[in-house]
Amino acid sequence: MAEQVREMTCIVCPNGCRLTVTADGENITVTGNICKKGEQFAREEMTHPMRTISSTVATSFPHFPRLPVKTKDVIPKEDIFKAMDRINEVLVTEKVHVGDVIIPDVCGTDIVATEDIPDC
Amino acid sequence: MKEIYDVIVLGGGPAGLAAGISATQKGASVLIIEREARMGGILKQCIHDGFGLVRFGERLTGPEYAGRFYKEMLEMGIDHIVNAFVTDAEKKPDGSFALTVQSAQGIKFFHCKALVLACGCRERTAKQVFIHGDRPAGVFTAGTAQHFVNISGYMPVKKCVILGSGDIGMIMARRLTLEGAEVEGVYEIKDTPAGLARNIAQCLDDYNIPLHLSTTVTRVIGAKHVEAVEVARVDEKMKPIPGTERMIECDSLILSVGLLPENEIAEKLGVEIDPATKGPYVDQTFMTSVPGVFSCGNALHVNDLVDYVSESGELAGAYAAQYRPGRRVRVKIDYDGKKFAYVVPQYYDVMRQDDLTMYFRPRREQKKPSVQLCVNEETAKRKKYIHLSPSEMEQLTLKIDHPVTRVALKMEV
Amino acid sequence: MSSSEEKRRLARLREEISGLGIREAEVSVFRRSIRLSGGCDDWKSIVRAGKKAAKLGYKGVVNEIELDGFTPPPIRRSKIEDGAIDGERPDVLVIGGGVIGCAIARELRKWDISVLLCEKESDVAMHASSRNDGMIHPGIASHIGSLRGKMNVEGNLMYTQLCKDLKIPFKRYGNFILYSDHLFGVGGRAVLGARARAFGIPGGHVDRRRMHEMEPNITDEALGAFSYPMSGVLSPYKLTVALAENAVENGAQVSLDTIVTSMEMEHGRIAAVHTNRGTVYPRLVVNAAGVFSDVIAKMADDQFFTIHPRKGELVILDKKKGRLVQRSMGLVSVKAATSDTKGGGVMRTIDGNVLVGPDAYEQPLREDFSTHADHIDAILEKHLPLIKGFAKSDVITYFAGVRASNYEEEFIVERSEQVDNLVHAAAIQSPGLASAPAIAKRIAEISTAALGEQMDVHKNDRFDPVRKAAPVLKYMSLEEKQKLIEKNPDYGVIICRCEEISKGEIIDCIHSPIPVTSLDGIKRRVRPGMGRCQGGFCSPLVTNIIAQETGLRPEQITKNGDGTEFLYGPTNKGTGKTSAETKAPAKKAPARKAPAKAAAGKAAAGTQKKSAKKAPAQKGAAKKKGGAEA
Repeated sequence: MAEQVREMTCIVCPNGCRLTVTADGENITVTGNICKKGEQFAREEMTHPMRTISSTVATSFPHFPRLPVKTKDVIPKEDIFKAMDRINEVLVTEKVHVGDVIIPDVCGTDIVATEDIPDC
Repeated sequence: MKEIYDVIVLGGGPAGLAAGISATQKGASVLIIEREARMGGILKQCIHDGFGLVRFGERLTGPEYAGRFYKEMLEMGIDHIVNAFVTDAEKKPDGSFALTVQSAQGIKFFHCKALVLACGCRERTAKQVFIHGDRPAGVFTAGTAQHFVNISGYMPVKKCVILGSGDIGMIMARRLTLEGAEVEGVYEIKDTPAGLARNIAQCLDDYNIPLHLSTTVTRVIGAKHVEAVEVARVDEKMKPIPGTERMIECDSLILSVGLLPENEIAEKLGVEIDPATKGPYVDQTFMTSVPGVFSCGNALHVNDLVDYVSESGELAGAYAAQYRPGRRVRVKIDYDGKKFAYVVPQYYDVMRQDDLTMYFRPRREQKKPSVQLCVNEETAKRKKYIHLSPSEMEQLTLKIDHPVTRVALKMEV
Repeated sequence: MSSSEEKRRLARLREEISGLGIREAEVSVFRRSIRLSGGCDDWKSIVRAGKKAAKLGYKGVVNEIELDGFTPPPIRRSKIEDGAIDGERPDVLVIGGGVIGCAIARELRKWDISVLLCEKESDVAMHASSRNDGMIHPGIASHIGSLRGKMNVEGNLMYTQLCKDLKIPFKRYGNFILYSDHLFGVGGRAVLGARARAFGIPGGHVDRRRMHEMEPNITDEALGAFSYPMSGVLSPYKLTVALAENAVENGAQVSLDTIVTSMEMEHGRIAAVHTNRGTVYPRLVVNAAGVFSDVIAKMADDQFFTIHPRKGELVILDKKKGRLVQRSMGLVSVKAATSDTKGGGVMRTIDGNVLVGPDAYEQPLREDFSTHADHIDAILEKHLPLIKGFAKSDVITYFAGVRASNYEEEFIVERSEQVDNLVHAAAIQSPGLASAPAIAKRIAEISTAALGEQMDVHKNDRFDPVRKAAPVLKYMSLEEKQKLIEKNPDYGVIICRCEEISKGEIIDCIHSPIPVTSLDGIKRRVRPGMGRCQGGFCSPLVTNIIAQETGLRPEQITKNGDGTEFLYGPTNKGTGKTSAETKAPAKKAPARKAPAKAAAGKAAAGTQKKSAKKAPAQKGAAKKKGGAEA
């Protein structure tokens, strides 16, 4: 198989290393990373790119109409809009706290609250 | 709540919360005054993740990051008031400060020995970047759009153009796309992006949103509501090139064209402002030109990462808690304005010996530069970088255990 | 003038305007006014032709020369069509809610006559009245013997009491006409001195040393100044709103979003006035329609003038620079002094900002408020150097306005010669703001005299000139603020951090005599969004307050009236991604496994269980909105 070279920016941390990834079949080499996470990111990006997403869900509290949420773990990049559809379905009617699961089992992870619903 | 405190912190965002906590840990009595209804500052609307990697080693969202500090503040029992606005600040002849604070509870007066200004920053507006044409509905700064979407839960756009490649602009490009809007493109007048490289990757590239460099919005069209914007390529002097104009149909224009430190109270107190940072001149203790007034976070200079905002808040809070009036001799920290866009702190008070935490941004992109921190003519620290960019702030720390007479920051390319 | 001499003069004019590039130029006289027609590809030539005609000394110039390829855009108007004022029979209908129309409506209520004011926009003060520098000129710029000069000087004197009554801030900071060539110093003494004597305007020449004492930051280029201490500043839109509010408090009726579409004439009288909100049958009509005053005159078959819109652009600097100037100042050249409008300059506004400009240029659009980089740059280049310490980075915003000038460059304040029940307050350009109280007084005299022919007109004993103004915290002492906040805590909550405007003040203007529910309308009244952040922080908060107070949904709230809605409705939450998908998951909702699984004991199930207990049908804190609605 022909050698494949891809330039990408590592999104793991704010350093944003410019990676050069060379793929020759199963054999993947990464340069430009300053830590191991960069290499791991590049390998994943070549095979099955993963992302976290953050959004909001509707609440029934007039003083706090939107509760911020996120995927607890990464989800497949191609599932982002699938996850958004699920996030957009719910309405939170009870006071919840940061870390509470709002929707379990979305694209292989949970959607969790990232903020307490404040009292007023 | 008392009327007299050792330290009063203005602003309950990441800088102010950190300052309040560290000042309390140093034994000071502390009051934090926040003008909005809830603590947390702008992080409340920054629902995306990526905060706290330096500090917590985790990818937190804005509300999570702010929440950790807020909980700590509550656990420590630090006095704080929200929806409270400082309408007047005055330095008394004895060196203390008198604040007039307006809130739903009326007008209250507070006194303190040291004041920490952690008022954050505001966004540059369309007018400040000289956009012309009509003034229709549908022109938002990225932060305002972010408030509408994330806090109010209302969509301000269906199809938008984003001017400026600042981080908030790119983050809003992704956010609006996730919420079903179309982002036609991001336009940047400079030939390099203004925000972090990872945001170009994860906010624009992931969603196939094009980034057009050396291109700007020259006109807004639409008498009542935005109907289109005109964009044009610019030359090296950032002037539009005639003949390159292009009309883009859209219903809104989102601006991410820079942030400006908020220093209205600082100016009221006579604090000198550095034209390079648009924030106060400070020394290594984060004290401004007015003794007893400290500055931190984005009010001091616009940071790229919240971790550094908290760090400067923590340092400023601790120094404010230990503040005693006395003689100071501030020497300017030397740097080449052609190599560095700015350096913070700008001064070192040589009457003291404190460790030094420095922040800087390079004037332009540099590949493999080396930066040296020199104390008393000797190189005290040397750091090699793979890459330096004006869009990314850098930080250096140095332990200091001997008298200082001179400090300089140098860059070798 | 003999008819043969007139013919000769008209023929000469025809030749002259043909020479300007007007094709098929026609010149005629109708009802003592001169009429021009033809075609041209250059607007400047068309305006020049009108000006040439004006020099002939007829009553007016109706310039109907067409600009090639230009179709005037439709007049901006509200979409509303209803019968809100249908069948009304006011004694006086005032057309136009600018400063002139509002001052007239208030003045008319000093008599016992019913007044209806129609304004096509969603608020008063939407055009020139909110798009000017707020300067109350001393009158020194007008020619001796002109109505502009007379109204200006009279109006200027009335402002002290008027602003006291209306409870709006007004300051006589004075103004300087600066010069940089000695020639002007000599000539100015003669010309301005003669005017000052003729109009009775106090002030005169100050030498360089005195000038620098009074204004230390003036450029060294200025050699001296003419100083006029009666010159004042105020907020032109606050004035207009206050005039309208006081008129309403005294029983006048104001109908916004109301455009006059046509008139029915009967025996040389206006019998009925058609609007988008019904037909009105007034005894008398006052034309205060600004840039459209010639359009209104034409509807009544009384067009004897044409408005040529003269646009100007203005720049606002941050309040931080307000301290560098005390008064309004412009550096003049001999050329600028002889033109029809001032050359602009710098001034401190009543709110402490600095205003720079305006410029003045002819263009055919009457409602084009766009700004242009070349104009703003030219204004900054021309005027910023006037004051040491001004920089381009001090700019916080800029805007444009359009002056309602006619070719005579003179106000029209008179009863119609053709239509029995029509009064014109037309072609009011600069110094219209300064002249407004005097114009209103004169129009009220003319109108009551005209009405006196049809009915008995008595003084209105109950007229109260003092506006019941809402509190303005900025002008209050701490004790006063304290008391107010105790009574109503909303006054303690600051919404606009740049201008320090409280929630209470915003709520007050939503419920004021001219209720306003747009962001810009509120901004015009109490200034949130006027400051350095230009509404970045406060606009979402103000939107929430409007929604709470009026019951409007956020997506119905406008920036500046009909068609300027700025939100599309809630983010797509609780309903699924698209409308097609909304239905399906909603129906399936109860069957969805997710909430049940949560209740079965996942990490955060606590809250969800709790809610499950309270509302078993909902199966957890997270539920489908569709399900709840079902």
